[in-house]
Amino acid sequence: MAERTLMERLFEPAQIGHMPVGTKIVVYSLLLFWTAFVLFPIYWVFITSFKSAVDVNSGPVYLPFIDFKPSLHAWKELFVFDWEDTLKAYTNSIIISLFATALSVLIGSMAAYALARIEYAPKFGSILIFVLSMIAAFVGVGVYGVDWRLACAVAVAVFFFLIKALGRFYAARLGNGDILFWMISQRILAPVVVVVPIYMMFQSVGLLDTHLAIILTYAVVNLPIVIWLMYDFFKSIPIELEESAQLDGATRLLTFFDIVLPLSKAGLAATTLLVMILAWNEYLLALFLSTSKAQTMPILVAAMNAGERGILWWNMSVVIVVMIIPVVVMAIILQRFIAKGMLLGAVKG
Amino acid sequence: MTVVLNQITKSFGAAKVLHELDLEVHEGEFLVLLGASGSGKSTALRMIAGLESVTGGSISIDGRDVTNELPKNRNVAMVFQSYALYPHKTVGENIGYPLKIARLGKSEIEDQVRDVADQVQLTDYLDRYPRQLSGGQRQRVALARAMVRRPAVFLMDEPLSNLDAKLRGHMRAELKHMQQQLGITTIYVTHDQVEAMTLAHRVALLEMGKLQQLASPKSIYDDPETLFVAQFIGSPPMNVAKGSLDGGVFALGDDRIGTGKSLSSPDAVLGLRAEDCRVVEAGAGKIRAKLYANELIGDHTLVTAETASGMFSIKAEKEFDAPMNAAIGIDFDPEKLYLFDGSSGARMR
Ligand SMILES: Nc1ncnc2c1ncn2[C@@H]1O[C@H](COP(=O)(O)OP(=O)(O)OP(=O)(O)O)[C@@H](O)[C@H]1O
Ligand SMILES: [Mg+2]
Repeated sequence: MAERTLMERLFEPAQIGHMPVGTKIVVYSLLLFWTAFVLFPIYWVFITSFKSAVDVNSGPVYLPFIDFKPSLHAWKELFVFDWEDTLKAYTNSIIISLFATALSVLIGSMAAYALARIEYAPKFGSILIFVLSMIAAFVGVGVYGVDWRLACAVAVAVFFFLIKALGRFYAARLGNGDILFWMISQRILAPVVVVVPIYMMFQSVGLLDTHLAIILTYAVVNLPIVIWLMYDFFKSIPIELEESAQLDGATRLLTFFDIVLPLSKAGLAATTLLVMILAWNEYLLALFLSTSKAQTMPILVAAMNAGERGILWWNMSVVIVVMIIPVVVMAIILQRFIAKGMLLGAVKG
Repeated sequence: MTVVLNQITKSFGAAKVLHELDLEVHEGEFLVLLGASGSGKSTALRMIAGLESVTGGSISIDGRDVTNELPKNRNVAMVFQSYALYPHKTVGENIGYPLKIARLGKSEIEDQVRDVADQVQLTDYLDRYPRQLSGGQRQRVALARAMVRRPAVFLMDEPLSNLDAKLRGHMRAELKHMQQQLGITTIYVTHDQVEAMTLAHRVALLEMGKLQQLASPKSIYDDPETLFVAQFIGSPPMNVAKGSLDGGVFALGDDRIGTGKSLSSPDAVLGLRAEDCRVVEAGAGKIRAKLYANELIGDHTLVTAETASGMFSIKAEKEFDAPMNAAIGIDFDPEKLYLFDGSSGARMR
C-alpha cells in the first residue's frame, strides 16, 4: 500500500481487519468502551427495576446477585397490586400511538404524494381573501352574536364574489414549495405553544381525557414530519415509472398501489417508526389532554415522582423497561423494510 | 395505425417549445423525430403518448381524435430513454404488467411473455430483477414490455442512447428487424443522425420546435431544403462557403465558380458534401485552398483544407498524402453543388 499522509491515517483509518495487532487492540477497546457507554443507561434501568429501596438509597450497586439481591417487589407492585392502572396506561399508549401513527402516515403520505406529483398554483390574493372572510365570519359570530350558519354562508359567498371581482388584479401565485414550507413551518414552533387552545377546544366539545382527543392531536402534530419525509421520498421515485404504468393501462389508483407504494416501503417504514416513537414518548400534550382514563405511559413514569414517598426509582424503572419493549419490537419489524437499494435498476445503467 | 398531428403547439408558461407542428405518420411506418438537444422531440412524443397536455392543435391516432384522451386509452406503448423498468418486479412481471392490467388469465400472460421474451432473447432472465441485468438487457426488457401489448403505435424516446457504441449498432439492427416483422407504426426520437438515417422510413427534422423537413433519409440527405438541414445531416457536416452569386457565377474569394444555374444574390451560401470534392493539384480545380490537416479514417483520408471562406472537409483516397500548408485545388462536379440564400437559409434552385 502506498504511504499514507498523516491526515489520511487520522481520518481514513484502514479496514480494521488489516490493522496491526496493537492498533486492533486499541480500536476494539475504544469500540467496546463506547458500546458500554451507550448501553449502560439501559442496563442501569433494567437492574434498578430489581432493586429494593435500600439498595437504591444506600449508594450505587452494580451487579445483581453479587452487589445486591434482586427482588421482584417493584414488578409485583405494578403488575400485581396496581395492575389495572399499569395495564390501562399501557393499552392507552399502544392504542393512541398506533392510531395516531396510522392516521398521520395515511393522511401525510397522501398529501406528500400530491405535493410531489401535482402542480398547485393557488393565487396568493385568493388565499388572503379567504382568510379575511373567515376572520370576518369569526368576528361576526364571536363579537356580534350572528348565527354561525349565516356567518359561514355569507363568508363563503363574499369570498367567491371577491375572487371573481378582484381575481384579475393580482397575479402572484404560490407553488408547491410554498405549500410544503407552510406545512413544515407548523412544526417550527413547539406544540406547547398551542396547548391551551387545544385544551379549550377539546373541553368545549367534551372530548377531554379520551383516546380520540389525544389521537387527533398527535396525528396533526406529526403530520408535518410525515409530509416532509415522504415528500422527499416520493420525489426520489422516477416519474417515468408512473408514466410507464399509465401507458401500460393502469389507473392513477392502481399506479399508486402497484408501483409507488411498493417502492416507498422503506420510506414509509422509517417514517412510521419515527412518528410512532414520537407519539409513544410524548408527554406534554398528554398531560393536558388526559386526567385519568386516557393516561399514557410517560404520564405514569412522571407519576412515580409525585407521591409522598419520594421518587420511586424502582417502579419508574419497571415502567421504563416495559416502555422500551414495544419500540424495540417495532424497530425490528420495520427495519427489514428500511433496506437500501430499493430503486436500483429502475432507470439507466 | 396512422398518427396525425394537426397544428400542434406546446408552451411551458411563456416558453413556446413546439410551433404549429404538422405531421402525418403512415400505417406501419418507422418515423424518426430527429433534432438537437432541446429541440422539442421528447415533448412532441410525450404529447402523442398523452403524458403532456396539448396547448393547441389536435392529435389523432387511427382516425380517432385523442387530443384529450388519457394515456391508457390511446393504445400506445412507449420505451423511455431511462427504460423505466419497475425495480420491484421481475423481468417476467415487468413484461407481463400491461397484460395483467388488461386482466388476462395467468397462463395466457405466461405464454405471451415467453413468446416476446424469446424474440428479444430474454428467456433465461425472466426471474431476475432489473438491477441484475446489464444495460442492453434492460433495454430489451423495456422493448419487450412495449411489444407484448401489440399496441397501435410504438413510441421510443432515445432507447439506445444509454448503450455503448457496439451494442447500439447491434440493437439498431434488431430494432429495425423487429419493426419490419411486427409492422407496427413507430415514432422514434433521437439526436443521432446515424440512427435516423439507418432506421427511418422518413425523418422529421426538428429545430427549436419547428419542423424543418420531413422526407426519406435519402432525400433529406440528397435534397435538403434549408441550410440548417444540410448542415445537420451528414458526417462530416456539409462544407459551406459564404459569397455572392451573380448570373449563376458564385464568387468565393478570388475564385469564380460556375453553378450552371442562372441565379443571382448578393448574399449566398455554397454547399458541398465532403465526398463530392476531390483534391487536385494547385492551380487546377475550382477552389484554391491550402492543406490544413490529414486524418486517416480507415477506408479513406479526411482532408481538411483552408479556403478563402473557412475550412473544407474532403474525402480523399486512403493513400493520399501531402505536406501541411501545401497549396492545393478543390475540384467537384457542379451538379453536386447546393446553393442557399444567405439570410433565410432557404435552398436556391
Ligand atoms: N416541464 C417542462 N417545463 C418547462 N420547460 C420544459 C419542460 N419540459 C421541456 N421543457 C423545455 O422544452 C424544450 C424541449 O424539451 P425536450 O425535452 O422536448 O427536448 P428534446 O428535444 O427531447 O431534447 P433532448 O435531446 O435533450 O432530450 C427545452 O427547451 C426544455 O427546456
Ligand atoms: Mg428528450
